[in-house]
Amino acid sequence: MMPVKKFAVIAFSISSLFASSVFAQEESATARQIVDKFQTELVQVMKDGKKLGYDGRYEKLEPAVSNSHDLPKIARIVVGKEWEKLTEEQQKKLTDVFSKLSIASYAHNFKDFSGETFAIDSEEETKMGGVVIHSHLTIPDDKPVKFDYMLKEKGASWRIINIIANGVSDLALKRSEYTAVLQRDGFDALIAKINEKIDNYAKQ
Amino acid sequence: MTKKTLATLICGVLFAANVQAKSNDPYESFNRTMYDFNSSIDDYIASPISNGYKFITPQFVQTGVFNFFNNLKGINIVLNDVLQAKFSQSAEDLGRFTLNSTAGLGGFIDVAKHVGLEQNEEDFDQTLAVWGVPQGSYLVLPFMGPNTMRGTPAFAVDAAANPASYASFIAYYVSAPVQFMSAVNARANAEGALKFINEAALDKYVFTRESFLQWRKNLESDGKVSAAIDDDILAEEKTPDLKWRDDSKKFGIAAQSFASVAQKFDCAAQNFEQAGQKIEQLKMGK
Repeated sequence: MMPVKKFAVIAFSISSLFASSVFAQEESATARQIVDKFQTELVQVMKDGKKLGYDGRYEKLEPAVSNSHDLPKIARIVVGKEWEKLTEEQQKKLTDVFSKLSIASYAHNFKDFSGETFAIDSEEETKMGGVVIHSHLTIPDDKPVKFDYMLKEKGASWRIINIIANGVSDLALKRSEYTAVLQRDGFDALIAKINEKIDNYAKQ
Repeated sequence: MTKKTLATLICGVLFAANVQAKSNDPYESFNRTMYDFNSSIDDYIASPISNGYKFITPQFVQTGVFNFFNNLKGINIVLNDVLQAKFSQSAEDLGRFTLNSTAGLGGFIDVAKHVGLEQNEEDFDQTLAVWGVPQGSYLVLPFMGPNTMRGTPAFAVDAAANPASYASFIAYYVSAPVQFMSAVNARANAEGALKFINEAALDKYVFTRESFLQWRKNLESDGKVSAAIDDDILAEEKTPDLKWRDDSKKFGIAAQSFASVAQKFDCAAQNFEQAGQKIEQLKMGK
């Protein structure tokens, strides 16, 4: 059983971390701070993964993902020029289901913990006025995975708009897929496919 | 050659160039058919065999078999290191191969990993990329899976540099199990990736194509993710800015080239000047 003192220290640390992160976000946060905070929250969810279950992980990750990613912007980019052809209602619907899928994907794929740690290596400014945070995930007894986060400024803070894992750009990958499905099968089919993925993540 | 034939040829070349510019997958229809064929083979043959293999084989044997075939790729990796002029890396990879082949009991134990010698991923396709050969169109091969126009012949060169390919020269009863084990083991190792594609992809074909092509590009650049990776995607939002910055980059490169050429001219001029001075000295000496 965990000693009361140790528990109190941990609880204090967590609450301090929470308080400082909220403060950081209300004021202004650098791109590095946004990524660092998100990775910390993600690892914490992984640590509590089994105890939380899928629903618990989803609940914890919903604010973590929404406050660090620019989900409406990503949703717009992944359908490319097709975005302009959608009605306002369809755009809202797409943003909504896309956001749910993004959170569900995290909740499904980061479900347990076996000593993984994130570390930020460097940062780089892009030509388009963004910032790329180069980081890696160390996995015990396995090769590390490179995670490069691309962020754009939003208000006083920064938001992730793309993650490049071992050189594979999530944004480019999704854009190819979403535009292909949208052009071939139409909007309703795209939404149905996304909802199907969300349901499958929840079941497993 | 008649004018008509010439015109047809020019039109054909222009059309091909246009198709290439439009997409990296001009053979999508053929590729999708091959992809479906491979998926069926996987569902009905490869996957059951692989699952059976995983079920009956202890994890340490699976790891040993993987290490063995992986170590055999070492010769090819060293060869391609040299062809790409990565001499220091070639020494590391040669050391890795030697260590695993000896202390690692013929490659079954990855000793090198434990002494900090991580395996580099090099193949002839990457060598061709370094030599400036374009990637070419995406191509799905029956039984073999995703590839490109450049990667397909390169694959043959890699196979030629892998000792596992020569097992057939010994005897069929050696060759067949070696090739079979290699294929089964490769399928067993791809299990995680295939499961991820099944779970995440809205269109498995597009997902596989895009991730394959991006993965190959990443290997070509030795994992150097550039901040420019999203430029193409974000360019639609800020075209003038991107264009200006691209132009300024091009001007920068051009200016550097001119500076370098000018420097060479300066050196040449200096050499001529020195030669002239020496001739003058010789004349004076006379």
